[in-house]
This record gives sequence, structure tokens and C-alpha cells, in this order.
Amino acid sequence: MPHYIQLKAFGMLAEKIGSESLELVNPGSSEFLRQQLLEQFPKLKSLTFRMALDRKIIQADTDISQGQEIALLPPFSGG
Amino acid sequence: MEKVRSPKNIFVQGPILPEKIAQSIANHATKTDIGGHSIFLGQIRADEKPEGKVIAIEYTCYEEMALEKAFEIREDVFAKYPLTCMHIYHSLGEIKVGEICLFVFTSSKHRKAAQQACEELVERIKAELPIWGKEILDSSDTQWKVNI
Repeated sequence: MPHYIQLKAFGMLAEKIGSESLELVNPGSSEFLRQQLLEQFPKLKSLTFRMALDRKIIQADTDISQGQEIALLPPFSGG
Repeated sequence: MEKVRSPKNIFVQGPILPEKIAQSIANHATKTDIGGHSIFLGQIRADEKPEGKVIAIEYTCYEEMALEKAFEIREDVFAKYPLTCMHIYHSLGEIKVGEICLFVFTSSKHRKAAQQACEELVERIKAELPIWGKEILDSSDTQWKVNI
């Protein structure tokens, strides 16, 4: 049975997606998730973004387990 | 014994007021082993863009991650420099041109540690904390800020 993951989106990405949170069927890994997001939201194709899993930036393709917190992060611009 | 530190809130709703900065300086008067302070203040600049002039920046963040990361940066910098004190405050919400949105304050026995730590903190805050600024223009257009 598929399980769902909760996604948080910030800044410009939340604007493009039209929401700050999203529920999706878990595609299994961060790369599959990226592909799925680009298909679902073609506007994201022109944007640079990173992903965080449980509040840590993902450096390479990483498996996503049920209950993990995933966030889409546009380039930071604090300060 | 080593002091055990835990994550602190660095976020302030609205601008950082000059009175708060003055009070923060005054609070160190009793710490008489301090010989130098270093302070960085980030101020909202009225950038001119083709679409209009910046009148404010609205800051949002991924709070849980930002606080965890700020704690990590804080621990790294404390381990690297002999500091007596370190304080970091960043604004959230709408901050108008001319107002202060970032306050970094380091203190040490001798000046170099405070100066170098302050600079390193500002660079790391800008590069590593998940905070986003949306510039509000006088044309009522908005633009996402890009850090240089």
C-alpha cells in the first residue's frame, strides 16, 4: 500500500507551487521526488532548489522513509 | 566544567530596535573579563530595480531547521575562537528600509577573536540559514532577494 509524505515548500517555491505544504505518495527517494515535482509543477524547472530531509540538506540521492520531514528550499537570502 | 548550550531562538518578529542593541551592550558591563566587542548590523537598503525601488523586505524562514543550523554554527564558532559571549538576532516579517534586520554581537578578551568570529558568523548566517527575503517595491511589485 502506498504511503504518503508531507512536503514543506518555502519562499519562491511555495509561490510557484501555490502552497506551503503538500501531501504526495512517497516516490521512494529524493531523485524520484524531484522528477515527480518537475512533472507536476513545470514552473519549477527554471528554478534552483535544494531539498532537506529531517532538516538536513540532502547532498546525494537519498531514500525517503515514512514519517520523514521533507522540505523544498530555494536559495537562502537571509541577512 | 564546560557550559552545556542548547538551541536558542534567534528570531525577532519585526525590526531589531536600536534600544534593544543599546540594552544588549549595557548588559555586558558586568562581564569585566571582556576587552572588545564586535557588532554587525544588517540594514534594509533601498535598492533601485528596473521594476521599482525597494521599500521593505519581508522575511520568512524554515524555523526548526534554521534554529538547529544556527546552533551548529554557534557551537563551531565558539569552538574556533576564544569568545566570552555571542548573540545572534534575525528579523522575521516586514522590515522597512533603514531598519535593522540582523544583529550579530561577539565579545572576547582581546579584539581579534571577536572581530573574526563576528565576520564568520555573518557569512555563515547568510549562506547556511534557511531564511528568505522578499523585496517589496514601491511599484507594489515583489521580488525574491538574492544574496551576493
